[in-house]
Parts: sequence; C-alpha cells; structure tokens
Amino acid sequence: MTTTRPDGDPAADELGARIGRGRRLTIGEIAAIVALIAVVALIPLVWSNAYALGVLITAMIVLVLNVSWNFVLGIAGVWNFGQLAIYAIGGYGAGLLMLHTPLPPALAIVCGGLIAAGVSILLAFPTLRLHGIYTSLLTFSFAQVFLFVVVNDPKGLTGGTFGFPTVPGLYSFLSPTASLRAYFWTMLAVVVVATLTVAMIRGSRLGIALRTIRDAPSYAAARGISPLRYRVIAFAISGFIAGVAGALYLSYNQSFTTAAMGLTPMSIDVTMLVIGGLGTIWGPILGTSVLTGLQVSLVDYPGIQLTILGAILLVIVVFVPGGLVGLLSSIRRRVSAWVEAGDDDDDDRAAREEREALSAGAPTPRVPLEGS
Amino acid sequence: MHLTDVVGVLVETVVLGSIYGLVAIGMTLIYGTLRILDMSQGSMVMLGSFVGWAILVSAGWSPVLAILVAFVLTFVLGALTELISVQPLMGRRGFDFEMVTFITTFAVAIVFANVALQIFGPFQKNVTPVVSGGIEIYGGVDLSYQNLTMAGVSIALMVGLGLFLARTRWGLAIRAVAQNLDAARLMGVPVMRLYPLTMGLASALAGIGGVFLGAKFFAYPGAGDLPLLEALIVVIFGGLGSLPGTLYAAYAIGFIQASAEVAVGTTWSLPILYGVILLVLIVRPQGLKGKPSEARL
Repeated sequence: MTTTRPDGDPAADELGARIGRGRRLTIGEIAAIVALIAVVALIPLVWSNAYALGVLITAMIVLVLNVSWNFVLGIAGVWNFGQLAIYAIGGYGAGLLMLHTPLPPALAIVCGGLIAAGVSILLAFPTLRLHGIYTSLLTFSFAQVFLFVVVNDPKGLTGGTFGFPTVPGLYSFLSPTASLRAYFWTMLAVVVVATLTVAMIRGSRLGIALRTIRDAPSYAAARGISPLRYRVIAFAISGFIAGVAGALYLSYNQSFTTAAMGLTPMSIDVTMLVIGGLGTIWGPILGTSVLTGLQVSLVDYPGIQLTILGAILLVIVVFVPGGLVGLLSSIRRRVSAWVEAGDDDDDDRAAREEREALSAGAPTPRVPLEGS
Repeated sequence: MHLTDVVGVLVETVVLGSIYGLVAIGMTLIYGTLRILDMSQGSMVMLGSFVGWAILVSAGWSPVLAILVAFVLTFVLGALTELISVQPLMGRRGFDFEMVTFITTFAVAIVFANVALQIFGPFQKNVTPVVSGGIEIYGGVDLSYQNLTMAGVSIALMVGLGLFLARTRWGLAIRAVAQNLDAARLMGVPVMRLYPLTMGLASALAGIGGVFLGAKFFAYPGAGDLPLLEALIVVIFGGLGSLPGTLYAAYAIGFIQASAEVAVGTTWSLPILYGVILLVLIVRPQGLKGKPSEARL
C-alpha cells in the first residue's frame, strides 16, 4: 500500500521509491567537489594566458548550454534537438535589449534567459502531442528554420551571417585582463548554479515525475502525473538556462553569429552529451571537458577535427551507450564488488546497484570490463 | 494573381514535389523497414551532387554515367552506413533504439560532410545542368529541360521503386518486414541482409536526387542540409513509414512552398512552410497517413 505524507502526492511518493531520489553525497564527496571548484577558481590567478582563459570561458558557456540540454534530453527524456535555436534566441534577445533599451547588461542577460524560456514553452506545445522521433524531427526542423531565417534576415535585426552589432561587455569598465578574469569567475558561478539546480531538480519530486514520464509514460499517466504540465515545466527550465548561456556567449564575445548555432556546433554539443553520459549530472561536465581538450589538441588540424569527432561519437554510442559516467560507475561498482569479495550478500548488492543505475538513467555499458 | 503565376506555381510544384519525394521516400522506406530515421540521407544528396560535379564538369563525361556512378556509390555507402551505425545496435536493450540510431546516423553524416570538405574544399562548385535548354509553356513561364528531366527521372524512379516493392521477391520481403518483422522472420526472410539493401536503395535515390539538385543549386559540403530539412518536413507531414502519405506530402509541400515563394518571396517560404506543418501536427500528430499510436504521447 502507498504511504502518503500529509502534504504529499501519493503517486509521486511511490514513484520516488521506485525510481529513486538519487544517492546523498557523503561529506568527503562534498568536500572534494568544493575543493575542485576552488582549484578551478584559482586558475585565472596563477595562469594569465589570455588564449587559455578564453578557451576555458567558452567551454564553460558551452557547458551551461549542455547542462540545459541534458536536462530536457536526458532527464526529462524529451528528444529536443532545437536547443541551439533557444540558445541563440537568448543571445539575440539579450543583444536587442542591450542595444535598444537602457537595461544594464546583467539584467539584459537574465531577460534573454526569460525570452528563451518563453519561446521554449511555445515550442513545447506542438511537441506535446508527439513522442519519440516526431519530437526530434519537429524540434530539429525548428532549429534549422530559425537558422535559415537569421541567415536571410531581411531587416538586419540580427545581423545575419555577419554577426550581431557590437554590444557592451559586462565588465567593460575593467582592464582587459581583469575583465577576462571576471568573466571566468562569472561563468564558473553560472556553471555551479546551473549544475546544482539541475542536480537538485533531478532528485526532487519534479525530477522523479519527469524521469517517470520518460521511463514509463503510461504508468506515470495512470498515477496522475500530467505529461503536459511537466513537459512545459521542463522546457521552461531548460530554455531559461540555455537562454542565459546564449546571452553570456553574446556578452563575452560582444556579438553573436550564426556560426554558434548551425549543424557543426550541434554535432559537437550532442557528442559532448553522449560521450559524458545522457541524463547524468556529471555527464555534461565530463563530456564538455574531454571534448574541449580534444578540440584544443586538434586545433592545428581543423580539417579532420570534425571527422574524428563524428567517428568518436559513433564508437561511443555503439560500444559505450552509457557514456563516460556509465563506464566509470560500472568500473567503480566492479572495484567495490572486488574489494568486498567474500561478503555473502555480494551478488545481491551488485544486482541492486545495477538496478539503481538503470533506473537513474545510466544504461549499463556493454563493454567487456573483465580485466578491471 | 495572374494566370501566369498560377501556371508558374503549378510547374514549380511538380518539380519541387518530385525532388522532395525522391529524397523523402527513401527516409520513409528506411523508417518503415528499420524503424530508424536516417540523418545521413542529406549527405547522400551532397555526395550525389559532388559525383555530378566530378563527372559532368571535371571529367566532362555523360550525364547517364553520372547518374549511374551516383547510384552505385551512394548505394554502397548507404549499405555500409547501415552495417556500421545501425546493425550493431539491433537487439540490444537499455536504450531507445530510434533515438540512438538518430544520433549514430547523424554522426555518419558529420563524417561524410567533413571528408567531403577535406577532399573538395568548402567552396561552392557549379554543376552543369544534366540537359540544357528549355521551353516556354505559357505567358513567360519557362520550363527548363533540366527541371523537366529532374521531375521525369524522379517520377520514373518512384514508379520503379513502387514496382520493385510490389513485384519482386526482395521488394516483397522489404514490405513483409515493414508490416510484421516476426512473421517475416518466420517465413525465412533474411532480415539482416535486407536491412543494408533497403538503406542502400534509399540512399541511392537520394544520391541521384543530388546529381540534379547539384545543378539546381551547387555542390558543396553543406549541400545536403537543406534537402535533409525539406525531406524531414515532408516525412513529418506525410507520416513516417507511409509511402503514399510521403508522396502526397511531397507534392503538398512543393505546392505550399511554390505558392509562398510567389506570394511573399524565398526568405519567408520556409518559415511559412514550417508554420503550416506545426498547425497540421497540432490537428493530426501522426501526419497525413501515419499510424496514430506511433505519434501520440
């Protein structure tokens, strides 16, 4: 029987027991994460190479976009491939506000996020009645049509392929070096806030409802979870984060061009998400880091860069469908099973953890790991 | 609106509709048989247009040869794409097959586009029309022989595909798999050999489309993007997996786009088209002829 909390929705509670709220972090893990953030925050103080900082700032902007995309694609399970258009709408929206209104740039960036969230909600409605492949078709075409409109922009509102007119930066009152550092820390803060928000939502009742709709739509509907309401909420949240990322891209580059939203960036972002592990919290972080590293190391060979990227994407999807996060957690499971070998309930534990990993949206990778 | 405009729109409808039909029908065939959405169809169009450029312009050989080479090359590449990016994923559990193959075929498309970029460079190459000249049919509406051939060849290929599916042993096998995979297996249909054949065939249709489209536009590494987008719109509109639905949709989309081009110009024809599709999907989420259960949430 269902146990109901006085304030609670019994359906969501029971699903919570089934899908899992996710593991609480131990004190040690929290300390490790705080230390990691602190180390990253120290980078611009010890390392003042403008090129390297620029690469990191751009990577963090892409990371925020990927966090938002991962939320709607991996956690909510809505196959939205129009996220780059939402990202661009955030950028252009914020840019138009910066140029034509006296709003301070920081406020314009937030407004860019709100505009993107609005468009994202509008995009959610036609996809509401679709599922699976039709959703990806519709949203993918949305992104392509939006790109087409901007490229052929007749009124010159967006600057088309030449780029948006120059906008004032967030920190234009600072010296170039200080401004670069300020952008770095701003981006780091946005990355942390966005990731934490998504992580908290994932374990909350909202996140459980979204994952249930993803994994068992009929069950969710039967338990009274409205796909309509939750899909709109998912689109709104992910649209806002993507819009802020787009507005920050505009602010950092002081412009926005169509190069930020064509098929090339889309393939790079999708590869990052899939390599990291869709639907996981660490997935976007790992994927973005690995792929940024790869791009930087291949910067001298621009021709083969994307070919290698496509090949990696193919290999990862075929051989490691869970991405790096799935691979790592599987290795960790095996190591801990090996350490605890001799315990009677060893197999039970492995089986239970396997189940948990499955329900948490990380498909078990099917690569042979016998040696580890 | 003058009668000239009407005639112009109708001519454009037939031309656009036939070429959309050729690319989109391959996607529908693949979806109906393999249950995947093949994002590499666009790169087959692009490769076809490069074949057209290499044979017609660079080598100066006959258009028939260009079409044949495009057919063979894209057939082989399409079958290979299936073997590399779809076959290994079949029968595995733990993920959404349609979505994962959407990503893998997309990855193949990235590789093709960038290999083409390496070989041919980023610049647009003019492809000479397969046939030159034209006739004036009514009040200043020109119908070039190129467009006429393009529509003619497309329609002939679609009819040929229909005959292949209806009359030949392999065609029957493809339809059997599309209708009921398990029953087809039990009847001894070699499903795993049929899949590469289907995808090769569909890719070859797109490749031939590319030879003609290369002359209408250009040959360049991104040449497949717009045809892919238009084919996607056609298959959403027609309903995935339905061949008649795709055909109706191809001509309907051709008509909408041709009228929008006459009425408001090229810039807004695609957005208008997209708006129409949105409205259609709100009323009929499964498209014109798709199965309702497949599309509804």
